[in-house]
Amino acid sequence: MEARSIWERMMRIDRRILYVILAVNIIAALMARVAIEPDVPPPVKRFYDTVEALQPGDMVMVSSTWSAGTLAENQPQFEAVLKHLMRKRVRFTIISFAPPARDISHRLARRIAEENGYVEGKDWAHFGYTPDIIIAIKGMSEDIAQTIRQDVRRTPIAELEVMRGIKSLKDYKLVVDVTPSDTLGNWISYRPPDLKILYCPTSVMAAEAYTFLDSGQILGMITGAKGAYEYERLLGIVGLGTRFINAIQFSHVLIIFFILLGNFGMLMQRRASAS
Amino acid sequence: MLFDTTQLVVALLWIAGAFALAIALIPLLGTLPPRGRFALISFVTFIAGLFFAAEFFLPVGEDNKNILTDPFQKMQGSLQVITALSLGLGTYGLVRLHLRNAVQRRPQWGYSLVLLIAFVVMAFFSIWNTMAEKGLFGIERTQLLENAFTLLFDYTLIQLDATMFSLIAFYIFSAAYRAFRIRSIEASILMFTAMLVMIGIVPLGKLISDSIGLPAVQTAEMRTNPFMLENILYNLRLPQIAGWIQETLNAPVQRAIEFGVGIGALAMAIRLWLSLERGIN
Repeated sequence: MEARSIWERMMRIDRRILYVILAVNIIAALMARVAIEPDVPPPVKRFYDTVEALQPGDMVMVSSTWSAGTLAENQPQFEAVLKHLMRKRVRFTIISFAPPARDISHRLARRIAEENGYVEGKDWAHFGYTPDIIIAIKGMSEDIAQTIRQDVRRTPIAELEVMRGIKSLKDYKLVVDVTPSDTLGNWISYRPPDLKILYCPTSVMAAEAYTFLDSGQILGMITGAKGAYEYERLLGIVGLGTRFINAIQFSHVLIIFFILLGNFGMLMQRRASAS
Repeated sequence: MLFDTTQLVVALLWIAGAFALAIALIPLLGTLPPRGRFALISFVTFIAGLFFAAEFFLPVGEDNKNILTDPFQKMQGSLQVITALSLGLGTYGLVRLHLRNAVQRRPQWGYSLVLLIAFVVMAFFSIWNTMAEKGLFGIERTQLLENAFTLLFDYTLIQLDATMFSLIAFYIFSAAYRAFRIRSIEASILMFTAMLVMIGIVPLGKLISDSIGLPAVQTAEMRTNPFMLENILYNLRLPQIAGWIQETLNAPVQRAIEFGVGIGALAMAIRLWLSLERGIN
């Protein structure tokens, strides 16, 4: 059997070895207590400034359409945004356009609300799962009580204390869309014209949103767990984003290192074949 | 109370009437020749589409409404019901398929059995949980429900879902190592751009830029004089390069793609509305 060169062996490395290297890298990075100060990008700063400009008692809609698949990215965003809203003593309602998103966001919001002295029904409410986003946004733009009818606890919308003085989305100050799905286009198209939009996509979805940032149709954006980390630094809190950021950035470094290594191996193999 | 008894009875009568009408229409449609059936379906589709288009395009009055606004809001409710019904249809199809697999002992029927058991157990505790949450029929939250739902939802479903998605990172890592090769100019540009963005967007990009002495802040003087050496050095910071790639290169390309997709979707919508789309046979 012909002996393989080191470059050839490197090119045929078993994928399980790569998986173990990545897993070890992620575990080590999650355990590391190193915090590198971020360069907060303008979309995150604008997001923060928009929430910061809210007055106590203002109303915000949080559109939470994410499930466990994107938990690592959307949960840090969701938690950071809710904590900021509660710090500003802003009223908010949550709505989900995917069935699993309802339970996850309700349980999380309930926990964060308890920690921050928010009372469900009085300071915040969860509208539950609604099947069709376009119909829901158009309907809520006219009359929320007629469109949604009741919250997750079966209380009629009109009887919720948090909805006092609120008839439709026109009475809201802004909407925060936390999602890995393509729901942003629907909010932009069908919301009342004066309702401002803030966006929390996963990292892969963020690339598509720059066009809306550029046009001013969304005012700010938190990109994945990395964006949540930057937001947490602005808020001065330690959340999931802070815990995840090292795993993200050191995985990036590892991927780049292995891409370079693979290319170097390919060049050396070519050179060896040529000679 | 959301509904009083009279409203409930009227609603039930409406549902029963609609159901009876649907049952009666199916054999009636069956008696029509195929061309007549197609014409009828096309006509109904066109009228339904026309309703939504007209509601959007008709001018509104001072109250921000036109003649179709109120009926449109009523239609929204029925559309939500239809969307919700599709969930039931999907569930029926799934259960029917896997039940048949399990009963007839088809190949890999064990997986179907696992699916059915998981489906029934999860549905049972989820429905129980929702009923307890809403206080329906006097059902209360018990310790058994709390433990079972937490075990199934928090510690099983969420973790499985997250694990499935996390596996992508490992596949990407393996694929990037094996497939990302500089074999052409385009591949080289793509690779180095990707690397710049990957490092530039994370805090390490800032750390590297700071450590090689690039200016951390853009002063007002630097902004007014873009060709100043300090300003050029500032723009060479990794976060600035990554931001420029995302906002100046990526955004127009995304806009162009979305514009193309939008026109395609419009053309497809018109074809569907006019029943010109034949679907896949």
